[in-house]
Amino acid sequence: MSIMGYNGSAILAMAGKDCVAIASDRRYGAQYQTMATDRQKIFKMHDKLFIGLSGLPTDQSTFFEKLKFRVAMYKLREERDIKPAAFSKLVSSMLYEKRFGPYFIEPVIAGLGEDNKPFLFSSDLIGAPLVPDMDTNGFVVSGTCTEQLFGMCESMWRPDLEPEELFETISQCLLGGFDRDCASGWGGTVHVICPDRVITRTLRGRMD
Amino acid sequence: ENVVVVEMARRYDSRTTTFSPEGRLYQVEYAMEAISHAGICVGILSKDGIVLAVEKKITSKLLENISSEKMYKVDDHLACAVAGITADANILINYARLAAQRYTLTYQEPIPVEQLIVNICDKKQGYTQFGGLRPFGVSFLWAGWDKNFGYQLYQSDPSGNYGGWKATAIGANNQAAQSILKQEYRDNMDLSDAIKLAIKVLNKSMDSTSLTAEKLEIATVSRRDSQLEYAMLSAATVEAVLKELDLAQPQGEPA
Repeated sequence: MSIMGYNGSAILAMAGKDCVAIASDRRYGAQYQTMATDRQKIFKMHDKLFIGLSGLPTDQSTFFEKLKFRVAMYKLREERDIKPAAFSKLVSSMLYEKRFGPYFIEPVIAGLGEDNKPFLFSSDLIGAPLVPDMDTNGFVVSGTCTEQLFGMCESMWRPDLEPEELFETISQCLLGGFDRDCASGWGGTVHVICPDRVITRTLRGRMD
Repeated sequence: ENVVVVEMARRYDSRTTTFSPEGRLYQVEYAMEAISHAGICVGILSKDGIVLAVEKKITSKLLENISSEKMYKVDDHLACAVAGITADANILINYARLAAQRYTLTYQEPIPVEQLIVNICDKKQGYTQFGGLRPFGVSFLWAGWDKNFGYQLYQSDPSGNYGGWKATAIGANNQAAQSILKQEYRDNMDLSDAIKLAIKVLNKSMDSTSLTAEKLEIATVSRRDSQLEYAMLSAATVEAVLKELDLAQPQGEPA
């Protein structure tokens, strides 16, 4: 079995009208055994930039800690927060540096860029970027149930969703997606990022 | 104090890492001499924060300046003021920032203030003993907070020596500043009193006849809403304090 599927995870990000949302499941498992139901898989870099990491938990933590280092240095030198687009290139570079001994993670980035323009990004474990076309498919997915998540998003997403509608849509897509995957689930965490605030909610679905 | 350099010293002062017959390291002393011409920096520890106040030497209207050339943030809980060669300071500050992040990467908590200073001072000391390179021509005032010792103020110099202080000054006329601080400093000052004292001290030690907000930079390291913060006081705030202390320069007020 693949190392990327050993623990299980579901990460999803979507774009709305002047807002973005990022959501993940909360399961921390080891194959069939569930060890915790409150694991954090989405990390805040700053108020308008979040990154979700699927895959191996130890690499999720370590990669995030290395990102904190790089983003802190960036902020000290440039005296401003890093923009999501620049951050996504940083993530790609850092992953490719380990091309022949990679971090077993697949990141999903959601943020608000210049003029609070929604930004989405995902990549594979060695940094190959994917920036979706916001007009036709403003969503990115990662984890052990990407097929299910793609299916849910393809049918439920539409452009220009308001923050509350975006929350409903991303939540239903996440729940519907990870409910058909035994390795992910046990609740969800959703962050909706607007220009003036971030709304964080926890979802309770089928707790299995 | 003027150092009278004896002819014989010439042979010992071009080698950066050699002692003189009197047991002195001339290059280190010459570095300190460079610093004694730099704009003054004052640091004062108070019970709810630390204030760093500096004299800006370069105040040309043509200067397109957004960042400070004397005050730098090193980490969320640590900042420093510089006296000396700015280019040298930039190298050390970048090194300090990396050292702080490396510690956080390993221990997932902010670097204790003294540990960071020891790190930098060890680097400075290396330049007085190995490699044949000149020492860094910078002295720092470091202001920080950690959970072990709370608010701390340190001073470091080109020799790599450092000390912890309640209040101190470096740069031009620092002796005058230090003597005022010795008389006026009180142990349980709060931050706003410390800011006022810092400005009073700067006023007495600066060469310029009048004090305006453009010539000064004041920063504080303190807790705001239980979050540690390095904050630069705005020109308006500085003006207000100057006014309160009756030091403000009248700006063409209507008669």
